[in-house]
Amino acid sequence: MVFWLFLALLTIAASLAVLLPLARRPQTHVPASAHDLEVYRDQLAEIERDRQRGLIGESEAEEARAEIGRRMIKLEAAGTEGSARASRFLPIVAAGAVLGVPLLSWGVYATIGSPDLPAQPLAQRLEKDPRDNTLDELVARAEGHIRANPEDGRGWNVLAPIYLRLNRPEDAVVAYRNAIRLLGSDAARETGLGEALFAEAGGIVTKESADAFRRALEAGGNDNPKARFYLATAQAQEGRLEEAVAGLTALMGDLPQASPWRGVVGQALARAQAELGAPVAGGPSSDDVAAAAQMNAEDRAAMIETMVASLDERLRDNPADADGWRRLVRSYSVLGRKDDARQALERGLKALGADSEAGQELRDFAGTLGLGAVE
Amino acid sequence: MTRKQKRLSIIAGALGFLGAATALTFYALGQKTSYFYMPADIANAAVPPGQRVRLGGLVEDGSVVRGQGSQVSFAVADTENRVPVVYVGLLPDLFREGQGVVTEGTFDAGGTFVADSVLAKHDENYMPKEVADSLKEQGVWQHAQE
Amino acid sequence: MMIETGHFALVLAFALSLAQVVLPLVGARTGDARLMATGRPVAITCFAMTALAFAALVMAYVLSDFSVVNVFENSHSQKPMLYKVTGTWGNHEGSMLLWVLILTLFGALVAAFGRNLPATLQATVLSVQGMVGAAFFLFILMTSNPFARLNPAPIEGRDLNPILQDIGLAIHPPLLYLGYVGFSVCFSFAVAALIEGRIDAAWARWVRPWTLVAWVFLTGGIAMGSFWAYYELGWGGFWFWDPVENASFMPWLAGTALLHSAIVMEKRGALKIWTLLLSILTFSLSLLGTFLVRSGVLTSVHAFASDPSRGVFILAILVFFIGGALALFAWRSQSLAPGGLFHPISREGALVLNNLFLSTATATVLVGTLYPLAIEAVTGDKISVGEPFFNLTFGPVFAVLLVAVPFGPLLAWKRGDLFAAAQRLTMAFALAALAGILALLFLDRNAALAALGIGLAFWLVFGALTDLALRAGIGKVTPRTALRRLVGLPRSAHGTALAHLGLGLSTLGVVAVVTLQTETILTMKPGETVDVADYTLRFEALSPHRGPNYTEDQGIFPVFNADGDRIATIMSSKRLYTARRMPTTEAGIETLGLSQLYVSLGDETDDGGVVVRIWWKPLVTLIWLGALVMMIGGTLSLADRRLRVGAPARPRKAEPAAAAP
Repeated sequence: MVFWLFLALLTIAASLAVLLPLARRPQTHVPASAHDLEVYRDQLAEIERDRQRGLIGESEAEEARAEIGRRMIKLEAAGTEGSARASRFLPIVAAGAVLGVPLLSWGVYATIGSPDLPAQPLAQRLEKDPRDNTLDELVARAEGHIRANPEDGRGWNVLAPIYLRLNRPEDAVVAYRNAIRLLGSDAARETGLGEALFAEAGGIVTKESADAFRRALEAGGNDNPKARFYLATAQAQEGRLEEAVAGLTALMGDLPQASPWRGVVGQALARAQAELGAPVAGGPSSDDVAAAAQMNAEDRAAMIETMVASLDERLRDNPADADGWRRLVRSYSVLGRKDDARQALERGLKALGADSEAGQELRDFAGTLGLGAVE
Repeated sequence: MTRKQKRLSIIAGALGFLGAATALTFYALGQKTSYFYMPADIANAAVPPGQRVRLGGLVEDGSVVRGQGSQVSFAVADTENRVPVVYVGLLPDLFREGQGVVTEGTFDAGGTFVADSVLAKHDENYMPKEVADSLKEQGVWQHAQE
Repeated sequence: MMIETGHFALVLAFALSLAQVVLPLVGARTGDARLMATGRPVAITCFAMTALAFAALVMAYVLSDFSVVNVFENSHSQKPMLYKVTGTWGNHEGSMLLWVLILTLFGALVAAFGRNLPATLQATVLSVQGMVGAAFFLFILMTSNPFARLNPAPIEGRDLNPILQDIGLAIHPPLLYLGYVGFSVCFSFAVAALIEGRIDAAWARWVRPWTLVAWVFLTGGIAMGSFWAYYELGWGGFWFWDPVENASFMPWLAGTALLHSAIVMEKRGALKIWTLLLSILTFSLSLLGTFLVRSGVLTSVHAFASDPSRGVFILAILVFFIGGALALFAWRSQSLAPGGLFHPISREGALVLNNLFLSTATATVLVGTLYPLAIEAVTGDKISVGEPFFNLTFGPVFAVLLVAVPFGPLLAWKRGDLFAAAQRLTMAFALAALAGILALLFLDRNAALAALGIGLAFWLVFGALTDLALRAGIGKVTPRTALRRLVGLPRSAHGTALAHLGLGLSTLGVVAVVTLQTETILTMKPGETVDVADYTLRFEALSPHRGPNYTEDQGIFPVFNADGDRIATIMSSKRLYTARRMPTTEAGIETLGLSQLYVSLGDETDDGGVVVRIWWKPLVTLIWLGALVMMIGGTLSLADRRLRVGAPARPRKAEPAAAAP
């Protein structure tokens, strides 16, 4: 209500700016030539000042005065224009403007404005009842809490896996590090840290990441398929294929039949074995070195495929994740698997609702990747 | 000189100056500008060694080798070709493997590009326009890279 | 509520700008005083509404209201408050809003301070100003609305590009826009004169303050932009002939020409038509600059907007205003009374020469900026036009201009004596030559070009001082009288001398840096030292730091002078902004006298060293100090009493209007 009142006040102010001068009696008309004369008179005064200061000589001053005098005469010769008169158009133009300003502004605002949407300053949003918060807001609140109490290990411990799920690996790394610093090292935290570092490095098991997994195994024993899998992956990435194969075989043996890890581990094992079996002839030549580099890249690509597969898996279980669908579509299209990308898009649209806002966004996003619209 | 002659000579002088400036501009446009190539163009273009050109593309993954001091060598690649580049100097902040880059310099006799300036994209939303256009043409442009 | 109020105020400003176009123009054409009188309050209210809209957007940034798309995309709750505020115009939508804010500000200023203008001229000027405003309001509302909303609102913003998170960049766009847009007033005056079909010497005086204001701000904006690029980008360069820089430089060159040609028109009533054309061209170049930057047709650091629909819209605005104004010019300029003729060797002759040089220089920059775009559009080839091109074209033209500068103020109006002027400049010439020879002897015996350049710079400096000395009569009268006369000179005389002096200082800085700077690139390990110029730098350590929204590795470099005393410590770092994972280089700069040591860090090497790039930049600060002096000169000129001509006294109501003197 106050808002509409305010808009009305603004409109009235704008209309008055147009209306008042029209309603007022016009000021007496001063012909344009009077303004010119004022300038010329000032120029004469300036010449006089310059002459007194000795900046110009007497003859120069005389010439300049004569020139200005000629201008003044010319001005008078041109005559003065007629005095002020009321225009025939005045009523039409005035009425048009006085009506037009409010009509146009309200009309335009009605089409492009969002009068129902309140302002949402961040501080105010974070203060409201937690039950009304969205997930993002809850995270932001927790972040606010952690910023105020940076020594709260449990807070970090809660936030860390959420960050990882929200695909914010850098924040996850920081959170896991803090949780470990404050609460001590344990298998879950070290595994999480390793995973976060892996994600942060863009799908490569770095030394730091491998160290974390190793600590996880030391702390929690061998019943940690995730850590073992990543460590084997690290070995494969470094080209230590025998060790990788050995590790993966052992892991495969330890995994129960129903374990969700069997598929991924099996694939990785097959790939490592295939690479191991590749013929190596003669001494290392430059070609071999190049091939090794190539293999590494392939290895990396395989790694990414694994990640994509697990994302795909997760989305089957939990399809209401617009961001996840976007990532999946993009991943497939980056990998050049256009058909899969298209399929993922269709699945995503079905899961999110093709006409929902999220669905629309997903479709637009797919469009930027060159994936044509699907019906 | 009469008034008229004087005025003519002034106009002639002004025109002469403008003419000289125009000639200079045309000469400079011919001599002092450099063409932009992608690695794929290099094979057909036959750029003579010593001619200044700009070369743009993606920094090939795994190609960056740091040598003595501030010497760096890397390869600029697109889908069809790769061109080895050497450069002495500081690389820009955003120079990374797999990212777009524009280098300026000359080819040596061996086909290596000796760059004297390297420009990388300035934030993750920005890629040198020439590079982005050419990559789009080749169909490998991915809009959002993380 | 606040945001939507701002949004509504923006719409209202658009509606008012349309009223500002129609009412005063109809009034001026039909001689209706009441309609003409609407121009002033409407222009002022239009500015007030725009200011309200702008304030609402700034508040949205301050309060991190991510329900506004623009805030979400360009801010972050953890950003320092200062950059939240300046982030308002660090993006396309916000900067366009700033653009119209300044445009309406100038409209309001013409309304408030234009009482000395004839009523019809003022009304027409306001109307033209309103047209430009209406076009840009429409552009903002249709393609770049800063008040677009998001529902549900995200909880965190996407940060501001850290390269743009810098105080220099925060004040650079407002200054630049004050300059760019300031020339819109000159444009409006020119178009108004064409519409009225009447132009005389008085017109030049009315336009002069606006030209000066725009010129002073544009000078500041360009200098600030150059300074920012110098210390923030970490490449140590102060000018890159980047199209965006050229886009601001061209209106400056044309505006400088306008400033000088308007003097001739004011004093001698000559060059009227040329001055009109120049007024139109200067603002056209400003519009061209806006188009180049805002449409994203360029490859550049600055081109952070890219959306073809916007480009086409601005192009339409560009074509409408430039095309329209030039068509009007072609149609009406014939009917204007021609200006007088004059003697070539005279003050006015020198000013015409200045205009010839400046417009040629502008043309070379224009060609160099547009040629690559044209080539790409026509043949599809991509070429780059860079420093070598401009050195060969702009360089000589501008050098010739600089040689001529000191002569101008020494020539008398109407009939000057070139020989006498040259005689009076003998001293300045001798001193300049001496400076050049000293440079050759003591700095570098092979740097003939440097010596010439330094000589040229001192020629400008001493030329400007000679001008002042002659006017004060130093040497002819007693020192006391001379001093009194010096102080009593018209401010515009001081302004001219200072502006030319500043030009000389900037030239000196540019020449010194371009010809005499040294660059050292080496790998340093902690404890190692390197000699640069007369100083020794030691690399002490690389220490990690944590800032509010970044982490950095800071290299510490103590500086020792020739005696081995530690005189300064340079901190140079490589920063990583965490939200965007974006690395930047923070150059370490130490000012020693007028010169600077500039240290930039590269990558760490495997053996524990770090690549360091060190420049010695002799007299580099003069580049910007010179610009500052030019700005002071312009401001002094603006304060000259002759620009404060009052309005004619209004006749008493009882008297007939025609009885005005």
